[in-house]
Amino acid sequence: MANLKEVRNRITSVSSTSQITSAMKMVSAAKLRRAQDAVTRLRPYAGKLREILENLSSSLDASDGGQFSVKREPNKILIVAITSNRGLCGGFNANIIKLANRLLHDDYAAQNKKGNVKFVTIGKKATAYFSKTPGAVVSSHDSIYDALTFNNVAPIAESIMDQFVKGDFDKVVVLYNQFKNAAVQLAVNEAYLPVEAAPTKSLKKVASVDYIFEPEKQSIVQDLIPKSLKIQLYKALLDSQAAEHGARMTAMHKATDNAKDMLKELKLTYNKARQAAITNEILEIVSGANALKG
Amino acid sequence: MEVEIVTPDAQLFQGEATLVQLPGTNGSFEIMNNHAPIIASLVAGKVKVLDKANAAKYFDIKGGVVEMTKNKIIVLAE
Repeated sequence: MANLKEVRNRITSVSSTSQITSAMKMVSAAKLRRAQDAVTRLRPYAGKLREILENLSSSLDASDGGQFSVKREPNKILIVAITSNRGLCGGFNANIIKLANRLLHDDYAAQNKKGNVKFVTIGKKATAYFSKTPGAVVSSHDSIYDALTFNNVAPIAESIMDQFVKGDFDKVVVLYNQFKNAAVQLAVNEAYLPVEAAPTKSLKKVASVDYIFEPEKQSIVQDLIPKSLKIQLYKALLDSQAAEHGARMTAMHKATDNAKDMLKELKLTYNKARQAAITNEILEIVSGANALKG
Repeated sequence: MEVEIVTPDAQLFQGEATLVQLPGTNGSFEIMNNHAPIIASLVAGKVKVLDKANAAKYFDIKGGVVEMTKNKIIVLAE
């Protein structure tokens, strides 16, 4: 039987751990709500932008995306890996790293052998992991989470677009955790550049409005595509942030539950040990008294 | 006419207006009630909205695009 003091110490430590995890859960829940609000705020903008782009591209050729839609032989790949700065959020970061490794060893194995797969990492976890390969990380943006606003995200998107246009990379993909609900995150691999032609299924529906364009259509499209690329990255980051808090909330909830279970078992062990000690003591007294009686 | 000004981070304005002045790529221009459908790109500058009481409101933008259809203006600003 475990000794009493030992069990008591464990009970104290487990219960204080469960207090910490339940506090972290509360914090994540509050942050999750805020992150979700940010996603919701972006939605009308993103929706409208897509609508206008569709309106425009319905009467344009698919190749009118200009320099951002140039398809080249994918020799040089850039992977934008979005993770969190902190851990304790279950498989959140591991899933992104796993997905990246799968891309490295399956889809882009040939490019990887030549050392032509590079990373832009957002979040300390990705930076730490991919920096292990010398020269693999082009740039990392860990401090973005301090103030996740569109104006801070835009320069990152711009620099990625610049490098694509210059020909430093032929293909850019974004890996991030998509927020499904508070308990479910989905690690996704989204094509970023070159820009795919927008699906033209709504072509007939929208062709009816006769717009005045100022300046001409083409240059508006070319003005809008970088905008929508920035929005795409911003949306991925917001999604990832919401997913992170969701993941942490679930992980901490499970941790609290586990701590409670453990506490229950420990209390049982403690009481058993206590009872055994008392029984022992009584036995000793009784047998001592009996010995005296002779 | 109805005017809505949205940025990726927030909605700046929503409401009725009689006139909207915008910094277009080809120079500043105004949209008044029942303007024909238009899509125009914008550069950095001030957006002026004149509401029904003729009170002017100003918004600073860094660029964007405006769409007007069915007497409804949507400014996607940055």
